[in-house]
Amino acid sequence: MTDGTRVDLARALVVSGIILYVPANILPVMTMTVTGDVEPLTVLGGVQELYDSGLWPVAAVVFLASIMVPFLKLACMSWILLLDGTTAYPRQRTVTFRVLHQIGTWSMIDIFLLAVLTAVGQLGVLASVRAEIGGVFFAAVLLCSLFAADVYHPRLIWRAVEVKA
Amino acid sequence: MLTCRTCRAGIVERALKPGDELRCRRCGAMVKRGHRVTSLHAAWALSTTGLILLILANVYPVMVFDVAGYTQSNLIITGVIGLAGQGFKAVAVLVFFCAIAAPALYLASVWYVSAACSFGKRWFLVERVAHFAERILPWSLVPVFAIACFVAVVKLDMLGTVTWQVGIVWILLLSICCIFVTRAFDKNFVNDQLRKLR
Repeated sequence: MTDGTRVDLARALVVSGIILYVPANILPVMTMTVTGDVEPLTVLGGVQELYDSGLWPVAAVVFLASIMVPFLKLACMSWILLLDGTTAYPRQRTVTFRVLHQIGTWSMIDIFLLAVLTAVGQLGVLASVRAEIGGVFFAAVLLCSLFAADVYHPRLIWRAVEVKA
Repeated sequence: MLTCRTCRAGIVERALKPGDELRCRRCGAMVKRGHRVTSLHAAWALSTTGLILLILANVYPVMVFDVAGYTQSNLIITGVIGLAGQGFKAVAVLVFFCAIAAPALYLASVWYVSAACSFGKRWFLVERVAHFAERILPWSLVPVFAIACFVAVVKLDMLGTVTWQVGIVWILLLSICCIFVTRAFDKNFVNDQLRKLR
């Protein structure tokens, strides 16, 4: 893959990620049925439920991992990719990229949570958890940002700097 | 004189004590890390442990959920089957890959490469396997799965009774083991060792 293709592909993936981020957060990720009481939950709704039950540290972990991390990752990747080809802030871009790479995978927590809950919650009318379409969008956002970071390499940030120097 | 792989700045090489890091002054990328000669022996031992823990973590139930006398015990794979059964095959594949397949492939490739280096033999396709380990590492998400299990228990506690089973111990030990394997199996050091075998 040439450097130009890498940048284009990374840009396309980030834009797709941003578009998919909207349905991922609006549509319910799962429905919980407790003794006949059906309750659809979005990602944010799940955090709200944890917070309401007084478990704010757990709520904070899920909020950071499944809402803040994907958002920050998409926002920072957009910034890095918009500045591609310029000589502005190369060091800051490199450091940001490296930090994103390390925290990025934590957003998978919500997908794993969905898997564990759907597996355990199969006790019929008494208590059941069903996965909903929001989970698919959420997974798609994660894959887009993961692949975007995989395709782009911090080496590309320094191309323009080198030409100038 | 070394060259930074990220920004191509020249870096003066110096002797590194085990655990020391040499970072690029211009972009801050890690250029080299000091290792004991035996650090790949450690990677070999740890990846063997990891593979055993991986089997245990997948065989023993992680938690048992119970509502009004109905019980359901839960393995890692149960989540994958549950999602696939409800029609979300793509998400099921993703969970299977990140929680089971990628950790297994990562540990197995680390095992192969570090064993080859420990014996000082240039085994079949060993460079390819080393490269593969580096590629698959970001997909191996056992520690994230462990945290998700804790959150799941908190949620299920609102619905019924959840009891931890021995499986969670194996998952936690496996997470810790994976973190240490990643530390011991440094790609730059591995590439240096492989070059010596040639």
